[in-house]
Amino acid sequence: MKNKLIDLVGITKSFDDVTVLDDLNLYIRENEFLTLLGPSGCGKTTTLRIIGGFEQPDSGKVLFGGADITALPPNRRQLNTVFQRYALFPHMTIEENIAFGLKIRKKSQTYIRDKIRYALKLVNLEGYETRLPSALSGGQQQRVAIARAIVNEPKVLLLDEPLGALDLKLRQDMQYELMRLKNELGITFVYVTHDQEEALTMSDTIVVMNQGYIQQIGTPEDIYNEPQNAFVADFIGDSNILDGIMIEDRLVEILGTKFACVDTGFGKMRPVDVVLRPEDLELVPPEKGIVKGRVTNLIFKGVHYEMEVMVNGTALIVHGTRMAAVGDEVGIFVDPFNIQIMNKPESEDEEAVSVEE
Amino acid sequence: MKVLKRVYMALILILLYAPIATLIVLSFNSSRSRAKWGGFTLTWYRALFQNEDIMNAFYTTLMIALIAALLATLIGTLAAVGIQSMRQRTRTIFMGVTNIPMLNSEIVMGVSLMLLFIIGRIELGFGTILIAHITFNIPYVILSVMPKLRQTERSVYEAALDLGATPFYAFRKTILSDIMPGIVSGFFLAFTMSLDDFVVTYFTKGPGVDTLSTKIYSEVRKGIKPEIYSLSTLLFLMIFLLLIAVNMASVKESKKEIEKNAAHLAKYGRKRIFTRRFVFGRVLPGVLCAALAVGWFSSRTGKTFAAQNQVVVYNWGEYIDPDVIDIFEEETGIRVIYEEFETNEIMYPKIKSGAVAYDCVCPSDYMIQKMIDNDLLAKLDWDKIPNIKNIGDMYMKTSEQFDPGNLYSVPYCWGTIGILYNKKMVSEPVDSWKILWDSRYKDSILMQDSVRDAFAVALKYLGYSANSTNIQELTEAQQLLMTQKPLVQAYVVDQVRDKMIGNEAALGVIYSGEAIYTQKENPDLEYVVPKEGSNVWIDSWVVPKNAKHKENAEKFLNFLCRPDIALKNFEYITYSTPNEAARELIEDPAIRNSQIAFPDESVLERCETYSYLGSDVEEIYNRLWNGVKSS
Repeated sequence: MKNKLIDLVGITKSFDDVTVLDDLNLYIRENEFLTLLGPSGCGKTTTLRIIGGFEQPDSGKVLFGGADITALPPNRRQLNTVFQRYALFPHMTIEENIAFGLKIRKKSQTYIRDKIRYALKLVNLEGYETRLPSALSGGQQQRVAIARAIVNEPKVLLLDEPLGALDLKLRQDMQYELMRLKNELGITFVYVTHDQEEALTMSDTIVVMNQGYIQQIGTPEDIYNEPQNAFVADFIGDSNILDGIMIEDRLVEILGTKFACVDTGFGKMRPVDVVLRPEDLELVPPEKGIVKGRVTNLIFKGVHYEMEVMVNGTALIVHGTRMAAVGDEVGIFVDPFNIQIMNKPESEDEEAVSVEE
Repeated sequence: MKVLKRVYMALILILLYAPIATLIVLSFNSSRSRAKWGGFTLTWYRALFQNEDIMNAFYTTLMIALIAALLATLIGTLAAVGIQSMRQRTRTIFMGVTNIPMLNSEIVMGVSLMLLFIIGRIELGFGTILIAHITFNIPYVILSVMPKLRQTERSVYEAALDLGATPFYAFRKTILSDIMPGIVSGFFLAFTMSLDDFVVTYFTKGPGVDTLSTKIYSEVRKGIKPEIYSLSTLLFLMIFLLLIAVNMASVKESKKEIEKNAAHLAKYGRKRIFTRRFVFGRVLPGVLCAALAVGWFSSRTGKTFAAQNQVVVYNWGEYIDPDVIDIFEEETGIRVIYEEFETNEIMYPKIKSGAVAYDCVCPSDYMIQKMIDNDLLAKLDWDKIPNIKNIGDMYMKTSEQFDPGNLYSVPYCWGTIGILYNKKMVSEPVDSWKILWDSRYKDSILMQDSVRDAFAVALKYLGYSANSTNIQELTEAQQLLMTQKPLVQAYVVDQVRDKMIGNEAALGVIYSGEAIYTQKENPDLEYVVPKEGSNVWIDSWVVPKNAKHKENAEKFLNFLCRPDIALKNFEYITYSTPNEAARELIEDPAIRNSQIAFPDESVLERCETYSYLGSDVEEIYNRLWNGVKSS
């Protein structure tokens, strides 16, 4: 396990009596691609700005390589930021933009020239040296912003929804570029996004946040397959989240039917939340299903069909490559391994909220 | 339709620019007459540049505008940055508060600034004008910087910090360069506002300091000279050019230009020289600094008199022959700083507040009494004013009515109130106020529209004092004036003169000084001081207690009492002079022996000066007078 590079200890921050972060604890390892994921207002950007030094926490400490940098202004921190809306200097050419940090550090002319050439090559923008930012497309500007940050060889690169303003195709291209950069440069990335797909694609570690609290920390696979509460399940991917009762170990009652599962240790007759991923539900002839239902809606999604099946008064979303017509009676089968059981939230703070996105 | 539109546009343009066009044309007119075109000339411009007073005012204007604009730009920009970082609600409140002075009427601003300076005991002068200009300029700077500031993105500033810039460097490189066009146009706006301000300057200026606008105003009061046309034309052109500059500056540096610069740099390894940034960043400030230096230098050389060796004179408008001042300066080497006032009531608070240390002031009789009562005047050293012997004894005696013991005042001009009548319309001899109540002259009588003068007529006719404070006497006088009202054609002030000249009325109450002039215009007119007596007024020179150059003041007063000088002033002002020696020098015997200008001692003996009655009595007079006018 690599060293902790950044350690946030007990960070609390409020704006105008609204608490944005409440006793947040989080560490970031060296050379890690860590993503802060959550809906808007969850505190992810504030966390990033506290790391960058643009906000001061009300209480708590920021440690960088073991040293306390809580009070250090941004210009004296060994990290650089790529802002949501690029924040290029509009009156300066591309090369002047990139050279900005190097000139402040009083690097030599030749060093700066080499660095500019190297950085522009890295982000595939050779030949744009004397253009103005406004003459570039959004994707190009974002790459300049990244180049401007990385020429300073920061230990950590902070990225605040850097791809938010780009269209889908460009966003996917940039995702690959960022992963390539991370591997080539060996820099630690702290990435903020509300886009779960982006998070799942690029991250080593995902931190799911809601209302100023960390909901779950884990690898993309963990987060997707084993959401620890209904909020995470709902936020990551499409989910059917059902009320259920854990009758005993390996047996749960949902939709008025007993299902075999693999979970243990919840006790007997405990109310629980049960997650069924749409792609894990299998449509079978009625007699072969664990439960029976009737198809009430059908949408073609390209890779698969999305169907709504009414089972005992509850609507389930089912993804499948085979189509069932509206009005058909179908059976539903689910592998016990794919039934995810979660404890009901104990406090209000943990309560899942409806997500706007 | 299209034609109509064009005509409409043309009409608006004509309406807007016709006055200025007229002014410009007249400034090149070689004929002094406004009605006649006498050919093209630059004479007035030449005369303008040779007029030292106007050139001094010009440099004062430039310096004040420049310094005020610079400081206001600095303060305003910082204020705007501060306001921008406030929370939404506080920001709205602050913007409202800073906008109010701009919408506030200028005269209120001017008066309140003057009051503030007076209360703060700050001497009115260059400094106070400067402070006032900075004050009214700041909102304009904020207003022009604010929108630019709102367009800046905070993240750009943060990006600079993030790349290692200190907060100041980051501010300079990002926010400042973004809002620069706003700052520059704010500066030019402030400069322009300052350049053409009159009202605020007028109230906050001190003696001897004039800007172009106050100079033009004081010149115009004396009659419009063609030099003023050319001065106004130049002022208009200056502001016009500045406004163009403001608009140029607010246009952002074009993208093309920046890219051209960068390409040039890449190609030749050095920057392009003549860019807009260069013009606004280097050339313009350079020119302004040069103007400042020239202004400072010339204002230095312009004052050949030592600052200490001066005398600050505060006089009625048009109440001295300008040559007299020149002669005095030449003979004594004392510089005369000359200021004018319109009424005693404007002059009084300035002296009382002590905001300006005047050395000689020329108030009227009752005001001198009030100033003595309030201990505002210095006793004169008569040994220093030997020429007082030229003033006739009877005038010194009359002066004792308001200056008992002749301690404070040197009589300067005087006159009486009497009846002006047209000999062709009034055949009987006029010697009493009684004739103003004669119904045969119904609608041919003109009365002064002035409470003290009207009551003086009635009180004197009744045999009472013109300064009566007896309520019964005053009520009687009011009744008398009411019975006269149906006979009166009009209650007027200056029009008595013109109406009498034009034979529009038979009888009018008028000042003796005006009477001499009317007689010249219309030989049928005759002036008489009725036998019941009347008012005599004397304007006299006094020295305020806070005068800084009392000795110079006494030299000046002694100079004014010299016969040749008093004669010059008499010829210029045409009001009666109390200077007997000067009267002897008058060549024209008709004037020298004029009963109007120099009546017998017996006339003066039956006249009295107005005294200061106190505000309570003044109120009674006003109430009774309003009763008459509304009856």
